[in-house]
Amino acid sequence: MSYTLFTATGCARCKIAKKFMDEKGIGYEEHDISGEGKDLFGQFYRNNRNSVYRGKEGIEFPVFTDGTIIRQGVGAVITFLRAGTRLDGFIGRSELSHGWMDGIHVSEGDPALADEVAEVLGFLKKNGLKLQFDTNGKHASVLQKLLEQGLGDRVIMDLKGPMALYNALLGEEIDPQEIRRTMELVTKFPEYRFETTVAPFFGQGSETGGVRYLTPEEIGDTAKWIREVTASNKQPYLLRLFDPDTSPDQRFKSLVKLSPNSLLRYRSAARKHQVLTEIERT
Amino acid sequence: MTYPSVYPTGATLYDPKRCWNGYTIFQAKEVGALLIDMNGGEVQLWKEFHGMPNRILPGGYLIGSTGERNTAYGMQDYVDLVQVDWDGKVVWRFNEYEYIEDPGEEPQWMARQHHDYQREGNPVGYYVPGMDPLVDRGNTVILSHKNLKNPKIADKLLLDDTIIEVTWEGETVWEWVCSDHFDDMGFREDAKNILCRNPNWRPSGGGMGDWMHINSLSLLGPNRWFDAGDRRFHPDNMIWCARETNLTAVIDKATGKIVWKLGPNYDETRELRELGWIIGQHHAHMIPRGLPGEGNIMIFDNGGWAGYGSPNPGSPTGFRSALRDYSRVLELDPTTLKVVWQYTPAEAGLAVPVDANRFYSPFISSAQRLPNGNTLITEGSGGRIIEVTADHDIVWEYISPYWGKMMKINLIYRAYRVPYDWVPQVEKPAEKPIERIDVTRFRVPGASQRGPRRVVNVEGVLPYWPDAALCVLTEGEEGGSK
Repeated sequence: MSYTLFTATGCARCKIAKKFMDEKGIGYEEHDISGEGKDLFGQFYRNNRNSVYRGKEGIEFPVFTDGTIIRQGVGAVITFLRAGTRLDGFIGRSELSHGWMDGIHVSEGDPALADEVAEVLGFLKKNGLKLQFDTNGKHASVLQKLLEQGLGDRVIMDLKGPMALYNALLGEEIDPQEIRRTMELVTKFPEYRFETTVAPFFGQGSETGGVRYLTPEEIGDTAKWIREVTASNKQPYLLRLFDPDTSPDQRFKSLVKLSPNSLLRYRSAARKHQVLTEIERT
Repeated sequence: MTYPSVYPTGATLYDPKRCWNGYTIFQAKEVGALLIDMNGGEVQLWKEFHGMPNRILPGGYLIGSTGERNTAYGMQDYVDLVQVDWDGKVVWRFNEYEYIEDPGEEPQWMARQHHDYQREGNPVGYYVPGMDPLVDRGNTVILSHKNLKNPKIADKLLLDDTIIEVTWEGETVWEWVCSDHFDDMGFREDAKNILCRNPNWRPSGGGMGDWMHINSLSLLGPNRWFDAGDRRFHPDNMIWCARETNLTAVIDKATGKIVWKLGPNYDETRELRELGWIIGQHHAHMIPRGLPGEGNIMIFDNGGWAGYGSPNPGSPTGFRSALRDYSRVLELDPTTLKVVWQYTPAEAGLAVPVDANRFYSPFISSAQRLPNGNTLITEGSGGRIIEVTADHDIVWEYISPYWGKMMKINLIYRAYRVPYDWVPQVEKPAEKPIERIDVTRFRVPGASQRGPRRVVNVEGVLPYWPDAALCVLTEGEEGGSK
């Protein structure tokens, strides 16, 4: 199978990907899109526009293909080369730059493959990238392993809401003890923060039996939960606005988007337990 | 600004028949909130009670602050906004805007209030017939600070201005963040360039860019423009001005968008060129309904040094690129930008520009329209408050006798006149006229009286010309520049 790697002049992440392939003896064709590969990549992009992500700062390189599968970004490329599609979910697209890499989803993928994830992340870390993880509380054991190996520089916990509503918000069953364990682990990383999206959900607490947003009181309960588990009322805690338009859940498309100012009441409720609570700036 | 070493303080002029008589409240430098009568009598001092500004509410209440954040870490951050009664008892307090942990200081909630606020019931914070501010309930709109980064403006930490609305119970229910609207402010490339390099860098807290320095905030209140269908002037909308950018703007309460603005450039239309460059301005507000001039915008156009623009001899980097060494109080029609009324050095009887800097406060200051058409002007840097008639006569003047011990200046940030019946706790004071002293004959003890001991005549001298040809042209002279 022939591998193609599109790179950019001066791209540090491209060099890490090439180093990995060289160390593993993986052959590939490299095309520098700043030079001779410009036209070839232009054609490739036109043919695969839906599979190549263009972010705020442009297209992230390297872009890899084996002729069928396309992977973009050093993390996704190395993960694929190391484990094929088995680690899909764990490592996705990175939006960060300036030496940071995110898109590392601790709660996704198969936790039984934690060692392989750690191996990939270890290579990235060893080559100078700072790693940002995200978690929703699932797979505390994976987070524990990554912590023990010193792989994470920052972790963001997407705390879905108060314990009583967690399953409804997450859309699956989860042991509250696992969430607690994750919360405890999160605070041990060099940098971390807790986040909650003021999200809609179906189920408990809905007066109409339909869909409703979390309430300020429930956000207050969430902040209180953080305080109880971490024994601190000064945790970095960010509230985020839910955008129905970009939600993958079609059932929420018709919801009215909350206004940024409506989150102020949520912030007030949260600050009773977490004084550093802020609202995400959009 | 041409001050002699010795001059009187306290009330220096007073014509009770032509004044709109009442009490005046101001923050006496490093002393507290001081309420004075028309003769300068000190009715009450709320000792060491801060205020930026202080305001009296009906019933003898006072709004201000218990103090300022350590200036090593904050830049004009007042820890709270507080309403106290006549006896100094706190009846309302807001401070829960940001939890602050400064090194060596007790961690605490802070309002980070600065420069202005408005209590529901009154749009501008001074006396308006039929628009008394609420004293035992209602929301308060507060100008506050927030530190943040915005790469569109600069890569440095910014001290941004925010406007928040808080309930009587202390809950924040509305927030507007200034930097979010940078793209709509109309800065040209030269301004963006210097703003990026030097967003008015201040050393507090390790350094932060006080890039806008909004220094006034008020609501528009009911007005004839909105009644005529101009939605820009919705009564709930707010007007603010920012000294560092020379920008004054109205924001839509519902959307937060800037819907009317004056500046930052004053050379883009004929109307703006006629108006002239407004520099470092303070206390921009719409004169409320019920007062003479209602619907017009009143601005204390300080002059001094402000704005971001191209390098020029007075500003080698383009930082604080506009300069003028005198002040103007302007009353503008917001739809035509025509000056309806003004008090400038010319109206003060000073030769412009050669003697213009005798009406000059390069920072702070304010102007309050009074019910009889007079205007109370705080010429702040010199600690001077004057009440002028529509015809520009000074009918009351007061010079603050309070120079700070730490900062040796008798500045007054902003003074307000309130009716006597807003302070029911004391009897209405006597109003004793203070005649204008003839300064040509006024002498301090030990000084000789005016008049030469001997006069000699010189043959062949010419008479003085009525319009002496000075080294620079003055306004009114043919070819003189404005």
